[in-house]
Amino acid sequence: MQQTKAQPTFWITRQMLVLFAVLGTMPLWAESVGLYQYLGVEIVIWMIFALGFNLLLGYTGLPSFGHGAFFGLGAYAFGLVQHELAVSLWLGLLGAVALAAAGGGLVACFLSHRRGIYFALMSIAFGQVFWFVAIKWHAVTGGEDGLLNIPRPAFDFGVGHLALDNNTALFYFVLAVLAVVIIGLWRLVHSPFGKVIQAVKQNEMRTAFVGYNVWLFKWSAFTISAAVAGLAGGLFAMAQESAYPDVMSLHASGFVVMMTLIGGGFVSFWGPVIGAAVFFLARDLLGSMTETWLLWYGLMFMAVVVFKPEGIAGAWQDMVKRRSSGRERGGHAGAALAAQLKR
Amino acid sequence: MDALLNLLPHIINGISLGLLFALIALGFMLIVGVMELINLAHGSLFALGAYAAMLIISPDPAWFGPLGQWYLGLPLTLRYIVGIALAPALVAIVGFGLEFCMRRTYGKDPLYGLLLTFGAAMVLEESIRLFWGSGEQVMPVPQAVSGAFLFGDLIYSRYRFFAAGFAVAVILLVWLFLERTPYGAIIKAGAHDSEMVRALGINLTRLRLYVFGFGASLAAIAGIVMTPIWGLRPHVGVDAVVPAFLIIVLGGVGSFWGAVIAGVLVGLVVGLTGAYASEWSLLSMYLLLIAVVTFRARGLFGKKSMLEA
Repeated sequence: MQQTKAQPTFWITRQMLVLFAVLGTMPLWAESVGLYQYLGVEIVIWMIFALGFNLLLGYTGLPSFGHGAFFGLGAYAFGLVQHELAVSLWLGLLGAVALAAAGGGLVACFLSHRRGIYFALMSIAFGQVFWFVAIKWHAVTGGEDGLLNIPRPAFDFGVGHLALDNNTALFYFVLAVLAVVIIGLWRLVHSPFGKVIQAVKQNEMRTAFVGYNVWLFKWSAFTISAAVAGLAGGLFAMAQESAYPDVMSLHASGFVVMMTLIGGGFVSFWGPVIGAAVFFLARDLLGSMTETWLLWYGLMFMAVVVFKPEGIAGAWQDMVKRRSSGRERGGHAGAALAAQLKR
Repeated sequence: MDALLNLLPHIINGISLGLLFALIALGFMLIVGVMELINLAHGSLFALGAYAAMLIISPDPAWFGPLGQWYLGLPLTLRYIVGIALAPALVAIVGFGLEFCMRRTYGKDPLYGLLLTFGAAMVLEESIRLFWGSGEQVMPVPQAVSGAFLFGDLIYSRYRFFAAGFAVAVILLVWLFLERTPYGAIIKAGAHDSEMVRALGINLTRLRLYVFGFGASLAAIAGIVMTPIWGLRPHVGVDAVVPAFLIIVLGGVGSFWGAVIAGVLVGLVVGLTGAYASEWSLLSMYLLLIAVVTFRARGLFGKKSMLEA
């Protein structure tokens, strides 16, 4: 167990390597199992979004039902930078992160002294405000149609550049961003900051009594989470070559909650990653069989909430634990794995 | 004086819209009060009620053969009354089913109830799409309450007045039920202290089932009344559930008249902003909520509640 205790201080863990190996080879095998390249781009972008979201839901215990707003802010910012300022990848992504963080910081000022259900309801109200403005502010956002013809700027790294206009190249770029986000968030949740926000989740009042400024920690977690959502939104605008208000709707905000929960965001760092993959695979597999795949996905979500709120990661942990307790001694490896899957 | 006179129609419109908002929030409020559950499926039950009523008012004549022909030959007013009576009962049955799914989340973090009803909202909406399609539907209304009338120099929609009057009637009936009947006393006691109610030998499980069914049927009634004004499409539920929780948070949880007043207030604000900037009128209710809640966390008339847990 010593080894697993020391593990969080590693920058790169075994799970990350497995994930990057699976995703990194995806363009090679995706088409032979009936998937397509663009799906990978979408999955990875939503993994980034859901990971940022889970900093709030799983780690700080704040259920935001309006997070699509920040994803949308990022998408619009990326599009506006390309259209109005300059066609630049880095400037676009910087704008996306900055605008979403600013929006998140502002909303967090109103929400950071709330928790639980009240927080959830108020976050819906704020999310609706952003969505409403996006639809109505024609001059800037293009209304219901959104911003169209957003270019995919090349990846410029000083000595050379790489065109991102084909989906495989774009996939490797978003995968690289995912890697940065995963390592950053992994370090963050295992830092002193991460410990404090988890304490806030468990008992806000005690955390305040120990002397931490709970409001500030909640505000920071919200703003960081919004910034990550904005980054994902910027990438999404690039991938879709457009930005539109749909991603800010209550539905889109609900999707990220659903994927994080089904994956197991409450009990594992990897929950949102699993959940995003399951969501899009379900969309394509169920969607090819029935028009109303959301009906079945919704039923699945209800079943998870009722029977196994810890989600897929929770079920996996249980399975590993049961197997390792079955074999008194031989279960060593299993227990280590289970401990690893926990954060 | 002139300016006031020009505003009058907007104020009248705002109040009638506000009464309808209060009607939408009524069932939501009941469930929050007694079960400490935020029912995000409220809007979908609202839509389901409207669709069910539409089906009852004008069913496909091919379905029941001669019986259907005979039924469609009946006057529209009669079929409308049948629809408004029967559809809420059907939705209450759906509500019973939903409450049954909910039982495992009692006693846990109220977040699970919220998540479950969110999933349920999606399932209901998709089911509606499956049966009725995604298109816009039109519900026929009886001649007596359709059309418009002239008052002063202005034209008013007759249906809006009928709907507002209907809302007032339902709100008063629910209030009388809660205040003047022994069942109402039990429901109010359940909202106040459910442990004590159980200790007094009242079947809390059954109480919750009935309250949820009742709340669902109130959502359905609101849906039937609102449909001729808002139109009917599968995702109309979002347009209903958001004002519902907004009004409850604004009025304060656990206050009946707080919710009604908040509803009228929201209607007035929406109506008046509609007079000057019709594009943005719906935004004003969110800003009202944010403004009020920033200074009064419990809303206008709220008591301490589960929201602050």
